Amino acid sequence: MTEQIEKALQREYEAGFVSDIESDTFEPGLNEDIIRRISAMKEEPEWMLEWRLKAFRYWLDMEEPEWAHVHYPKIDFQSISYYSAPKSMKDKPQSLDEVDPELLKTYEKLGIPLHEQMMLAGVAVDAVFDSVSVVTTFRDKLEEAGVIFCPISEAVHKYPDLVKKYLGSVVPQRDNYYAALNCAVFTDGSFVYIPKGTKCPMELSTYFRINEQNTGQFERTLIIADEGSHVSYLEGCTAPQRDENQLHAAVVELIAMDDAEIKYSTVQNWYPGDEEGRGGIYNFVTKRGICHTSAKISWTQVETGSAVTWKYPSCILKGDNSIGEFYSVALTRGAQQADTGTKMIHLGKNTKSTIISKGISAGRSNNSYRGLVRMNSSAVGARNFTQCDSLLIGDQCGAHTFPYVESRNPTAIVEHEATTSKVSDDQMFLCQQRGLDPEKAVSMIVNGFCKEVFKELPMEFAVEAGKLLEISLEGSVG
Amino acid sequence: MLSIKNLHASVEEKNILKGLDLEIKPGEVHAIMGPNGAGKSTLGYVLTGREGYSVEQGSATLDGVDLLALEAEERARAGLFLAFQYPVEIPGVSNLEFLKASVDAVREARGEESLSSKDFLKMAREASKKVNLPADFLKRGVNEGFSGGEKKRNEILQMLLLKPKLCILDESDSGLDIDALQVVAEGVNSQRSPDRSFIVVTHYQRLLDYIKPDFVHVLSDGKIVKSGDYSLAHELESQGYAWLKDQPAADEVAEG
Amino acid sequence: MSSWLSSAVTRAEAVSDWLAPQRQASLALLRDAKWPTRKTEAWKYLPINVWDNTELQADAAESTDATSGVIEGLNSLDLVFVNGQLQSVPGDDLPAGLTVVSLADASGDARAWAAETFTAVKPARHLFGLVNDVLATQGVLIDVAAAAVIEQPIRIVNVLTKGYEAHTRVLVRLGEHAKATVIEHYVGDQRSKNTGFAEYKVGDSAYLEHYRFALQSGESLSIGGSHFELSARAELSSHLVGFGSTLQRVDVDVTHAGEHAFAKLNAIYLLDGKELFDLHSTIEHAVPNGTTEENVRGIVADNSRAVFNGRIHIHRGAQKTLAELNNRNLLMSDRAEINTKPELEIYADDVRCAHGATIAEIDKKALYYMQSRGVSRSQAQIMLNFGFINELVDQMPNQVLADWLRPQLRDRFAGMEVK
Repeated sequence: MTEQIEKALQREYEAGFVSDIESDTFEPGLNEDIIRRISAMKEEPEWMLEWRLKAFRYWLDMEEPEWAHVHYPKIDFQSISYYSAPKSMKDKPQSLDEVDPELLKTYEKLGIPLHEQMMLAGVAVDAVFDSVSVVTTFRDKLEEAGVIFCPISEAVHKYPDLVKKYLGSVVPQRDNYYAALNCAVFTDGSFVYIPKGTKCPMELSTYFRINEQNTGQFERTLIIADEGSHVSYLEGCTAPQRDENQLHAAVVELIAMDDAEIKYSTVQNWYPGDEEGRGGIYNFVTKRGICHTSAKISWTQVETGSAVTWKYPSCILKGDNSIGEFYSVALTRGAQQADTGTKMIHLGKNTKSTIISKGISAGRSNNSYRGLVRMNSSAVGARNFTQCDSLLIGDQCGAHTFPYVESRNPTAIVEHEATTSKVSDDQMFLCQQRGLDPEKAVSMIVNGFCKEVFKELPMEFAVEAGKLLEISLEGSVG
Repeated sequence: MLSIKNLHASVEEKNILKGLDLEIKPGEVHAIMGPNGAGKSTLGYVLTGREGYSVEQGSATLDGVDLLALEAEERARAGLFLAFQYPVEIPGVSNLEFLKASVDAVREARGEESLSSKDFLKMAREASKKVNLPADFLKRGVNEGFSGGEKKRNEILQMLLLKPKLCILDESDSGLDIDALQVVAEGVNSQRSPDRSFIVVTHYQRLLDYIKPDFVHVLSDGKIVKSGDYSLAHELESQGYAWLKDQPAADEVAEG
Repeated sequence: MSSWLSSAVTRAEAVSDWLAPQRQASLALLRDAKWPTRKTEAWKYLPINVWDNTELQADAAESTDATSGVIEGLNSLDLVFVNGQLQSVPGDDLPAGLTVVSLADASGDARAWAAETFTAVKPARHLFGLVNDVLATQGVLIDVAAAAVIEQPIRIVNVLTKGYEAHTRVLVRLGEHAKATVIEHYVGDQRSKNTGFAEYKVGDSAYLEHYRFALQSGESLSIGGSHFELSARAELSSHLVGFGSTLQRVDVDVTHAGEHAFAKLNAIYLLDGKELFDLHSTIEHAVPNGTTEENVRGIVADNSRAVFNGRIHIHRGAQKTLAELNNRNLLMSDRAEINTKPELEIYADDVRCAHGATIAEIDKKALYYMQSRGVSRSQAQIMLNFGFINELVDQMPNQVLADWLRPQLRDRFAGMEVK
């Protein structure tokens, strides 16, 4: 039976193609000169360059973290190229018509049509290809509402005050090894500002694509939701199938001002490497948001890709009555390793957090939940509820739970629960006896296991996430 | 004995009691009926001093003692007893240990001598017999794993032991079968005396067939909107509370 | 390296008893060991530098009556260490099947099995375990013959007085179908340092009832562990009670080495003042069909700090394992702190594992219920706290010990205040 399930989980990586696009790519290497060149390519103001260099100097003194439950050879940061952009982007396209058709094809293949007329109604997309933002759609409509949605490279020029004020305010340059690296070499990413009292008229979405070989992707996302505003933001990622590992070290910062609400959803489907563990993306990401009074940040992630994932979308619940949520599905198979979870730092009174984590391990993969819930002495009446469930498929995988719970306030209540289960023979038999093939049965059981998280995803993504899992189970049974 | 004047009280910033008046003389049994959310349970909690219930206006005195100025345990020692609708379970604390601490505290407040463990045990056993609870319940954790009926009987057991002046029975009939209902009613009736009064909070008339009240009040939206004798209960049973409809009901939350 | 640790290594190099060859591997590890910092995961929440920074000055006037600690009605066989020195070894009137010898005096067969057991059960990862390996020249070896049922509890008492540093070791072997009760009892509230480690090999179908009373308090610094290896169908019922002190760290490790073994682990910690207590437990399910039930409860008051790290590790192939860990804490003050980390590491799919951890304040509803019956708030708090802990005390198979413990726990609660 297990074998059947195993097979049901094998899949092709559908986004593994390479686009034939001419690129300008820096030679591998990392030093101050490279950073100056990145900054120059982006025609950045002096303050931005200084900020990068400062981060780089911090980074030089930092050590690579080793505490995560993942194993990979040491990364040679000098063998990575830190900048790659399609040649055609040199003279920035003014509209979609001017974008290289090959590029557009890439996104179409990925199921992300950038042509506005083809687009799902109500989703604005920023597409980031290697180191640059290719196109941002629906900008006019957003501008009408006062919403700023543009590449961060553009925001540095157009909205320097906002960028200066908030960049690094949630994830400081020295926060951790990969964040520091990102600060030094980030190339592009999305910038969002939602004005006071505004409900963003559509879902915002960024698709990240790594195409070029031996490049790292270091994007930076900054979302500022001003008082009383609302925004839902979606993020998707893919990369071609290659034998070498590629590094992705992103930083995302969210700022939810008083009464604001940010919903941040990710479907991460970077190339996971092959069955033997060759190739795949190292996904070392720092995501963190700060909630001011009565604000809410909700992280939802579906993680199916990457060879190694190291990712902890977190909330600092600074304001009284603020709310943090983390809903996660992480599926690992083959030789994938994921160490993911969240941190909920409760500072304000009556702050609340909910953590629902579903880990599915198959093959020889290892899937870890790592989380921190901290109730500071100021967190009067704060509450946390955490539920971590693991589903193991096969006897060669690993499922792990490392929750840190720290409390310093007697009125705070923390509850943590974790369970493990497997797709049982009984469940499989029942499904099959009712006429379902094993593939469908596993997919149904796995989907049921993840239901609590999927219902948190915006609809377009929920469909995509369900499909992703289903693809995982495709081409399977014999 | 109990005198409530213009009582306004709220929970979580919601006004539940909005100017309630009630006078109870020694030996009287008053029934309080009313729709869900009227504030029936709140009255019991406010009088006994539950945390989170705040009094905005008005007064409540028991034999001239200002109840509202006292801590919850001081009110109990002054002779006030609430039989809870949903008695809490306290695992690890034995019923017997809890009852002894409680009886000791109340007796001390009344200036009575404390009971020897032997005498107390005898008294507790007798009382548990009266409410039809096997004696080994005394050794179990407070209400731990008790059925709904057993919890209610355990409340009456405590009433028998503490001999309060004023007993408030908060829906002591809810969820009981007819046998358990009779046990509860007998427990109450056996305690009726010229110097002990009762407030029987209930939704249905059923319990009142066993415990005949002297007065029946209808509580709606935080106020007593109608008072009468025992026959009022029958009237309510046949007509329901529909005639109160045009009076806005307080939020359901308050009943918890 | 800490100056204390270098002095320990120097002292260890001078140890030349019969166990010296077995100590060499640990000594080598210790020479390379790094003194823990806040970044050392296993010591993350415990300011271990206190150990290094505390100077000891022996005070001969502070002698202790070694017999003062008799537990009324227990009728235990007492083995008493005062400041690390074993006071006496029982004579020949031991129950049949029981052999007890001093580590220093061991010979023949005792040496053979002890040499085999020493460091075989206790994992090498623990820095102070290594310290104990190389410095514990005092200890007892307890051997229970196959099928022997020892009714008399064996109690090992460690008394520490002002200014002493002591390192003691206990090795216990239970033969097949043997039964025994062993109590490790630590007392002392003066400024002292000790490490006390015990290794238990529990044979096929044997039953071990185990208590560790880590009741040192005040200024004492104490680090130790109880480590168990369970053979097939062996059963362990272990009960730990810890009070805090300037520094207290206890490690409890259980390895399921044989199938169908059953481990029940209960632990209680009660902290007040500025006390620290750090409990680490690791359950290794190395084989299929093992069962572990672990319940840990703590009350942390005033300015104290508790740490609990409970790890369950299901090895590849350890199918049909049942393992549950539950940790509940009550935090009594806004200056107190609890850090808990229940961990699961699972490499087998057909298992049932769960853990839960909660931190809460005292049950306000129960408090009100009791107050509404006339019980004062402070008394109700004591009763509720006691009840919270008493659920685990009730599970102690030995009633005499439970009865002996309860008033001590009550006393401790009486001093605690909810703020």
